[in-house]
Amino acid sequence: MTRIQEVLWKLDWDYIGNPYYVSGHAIYSALARHLPADVKQALHVSPGVFVPGEYGAYPDAHSQSGGVPYMGTGLRPVEEYADLFVFRDAAQRWLSETRPRDAHNTHTMRQFGDRTGYGATRTFSRPPEKRNSKRTMSWYIHAYCHTDANGQLPLSEETLDGLRLGGARNYGFGQTTLEATRCIDLDGLSYPRLEQADAYQIELHSPYVLASDYPGADDQSVPWWWDYDGDLRRRDTQLIKGDTTYDLRTVDHGQIVTYDGNSPIMSAEAGLFGIGTHSKYGFGQYRFRPASDDRVPERAADSKPHRGDL
Amino acid sequence: MTEPSDVPTDTDQSKWDRYAAQPCRSTPTGHETDADPMVAVYRHDTHKLLMRSHTAARDTYGGVRVNEQVPLGADQAAALLSRPRGEPEQTVANHQSPLRISLLTGTVGTTDEMTSMELEQAVQDLVTIEDPEAMHAAWLDSSVASRFNESVYYPYTSAKYHTLLAGALYSNYRAGHDFADLALVVDDIDEIVPHRTIFQTTDCSLRLTATPGERPAAPLGEAPAQSWADVWSRLPEHPLPDTRHGRILDAQLRRIRSWSTALQYLEEYQETARRLGVER
Repeated sequence: MTRIQEVLWKLDWDYIGNPYYVSGHAIYSALARHLPADVKQALHVSPGVFVPGEYGAYPDAHSQSGGVPYMGTGLRPVEEYADLFVFRDAAQRWLSETRPRDAHNTHTMRQFGDRTGYGATRTFSRPPEKRNSKRTMSWYIHAYCHTDANGQLPLSEETLDGLRLGGARNYGFGQTTLEATRCIDLDGLSYPRLEQADAYQIELHSPYVLASDYPGADDQSVPWWWDYDGDLRRRDTQLIKGDTTYDLRTVDHGQIVTYDGNSPIMSAEAGLFGIGTHSKYGFGQYRFRPASDDRVPERAADSKPHRGDL
Repeated sequence: MTEPSDVPTDTDQSKWDRYAAQPCRSTPTGHETDADPMVAVYRHDTHKLLMRSHTAARDTYGGVRVNEQVPLGADQAAALLSRPRGEPEQTVANHQSPLRISLLTGTVGTTDEMTSMELEQAVQDLVTIEDPEAMHAAWLDSSVASRFNESVYYPYTSAKYHTLLAGALYSNYRAGHDFADLALVVDDIDEIVPHRTIFQTTDCSLRLTATPGERPAAPLGEAPAQSWADVWSRLPEHPLPDTRHGRILDAQLRRIRSWSTALQYLEEYQETARRLGVER
């Protein structure tokens, strides 16, 4: 049985760390000190994606439909492969149109000396006739983990609760509380949209490591089943273990390639765990989409005309 | 410069019908513009800079023809890049105003204080420029137009970048290109292509074109939509420096969907970082 454990944390205090997401390594390190050696050895952790605790609606590709109050504050049902990704895209396309989506999905900048971090909440003023003059939105962090060995999941709620993530943890930064967690049996997952498709796009959700200074890490080439024109965007990043910083050369997350292989379902499932070097810390994770899908569904040309002009 | 010149072509009007919204002005005004058509595009939303609604919009301002409809559906397509489709809804209940709210700071208005007379003079100076290229350059550089949103329903959007997007789309359309042919292109900072450059920053310029040549480019997709995050995160090169602030800014830009909101955010973030002395 292949399982993953989804985790949603509420951010209680401001965050200083990787600005794109909480790195898988940061989450792993916070967890590792509470884990027995064998679990620590076998554990893999995804990056933690920032999720606004706001109103929204299930995207078209989701098995569920309709609007959900405070969608971002809880884990949502997972029946199909696409359901796993509702919170994994930084653009958080499920956010409600009736509220200022981009304002809900960008961070409040906080300056701490020479360091810039993110506020744990975002505050909006309200019309004067309302009882409370401010409305506060909380940020959540969504990640998932799995282990190489059987019987080690779920990690307990006590283990997952109260972690500090990112930098300046001794000063209380990155303080979280566990909001929700649950295990998903991947063998019970269906892939109807991928099964109906005959061509696929791969969306890179975390950097894919090409080269790492970490001892024993081999250089990796871009997988043969990734097809693309021109260049893939590269990014130099780092893995910090103890006092040592290892430089990594990666293909940057956000890039999209075409699938040029013969077993899309297997390749799609592999992307949940990440491929290549440092997949233990969430590198090399990706999502499959039918090539006919548009990541921006409103780009379909037959939608209603716009009438927003005053 | 690899750009084709702006030659008007027999673009089939019907293919733009799918983007057509209700006409901006229901009554023909009798006298059409005699200004360059590109100049007319930069003047199409003058009423927004004067904080007037469409219905209260006037035909002339500062002695020039303003508020004319942009041909080929370029205005509607630009609107779709930055606002949802369908009937607009008020998204910020306590801010029904043409003044833009900053996505970065949540504040309204800019740091340089102006009296209303000074502001009106600055608007007049901006919209009465006669030379099309000078007009485009003035909009790229304008801090006045960025005080206003492009729709009171969506107060984080920017009239400045809506207008530059409408100009870039119209310029491409009249050269015979379809929306689906267009790409976002990263140029060097000093490389400004008249009407096609939509943003100029200390690190790069951004342009909409059907002919990216060797420049890093990401396609806009089949039809106009709030696709900023998607297009930006697909660029094959990083337009921003690989510094802490470059990464923080990049991370926010991957979260924003509205084009005019994102471009305004990019401008404001870099200005703020410069002012705070944390430029890199």
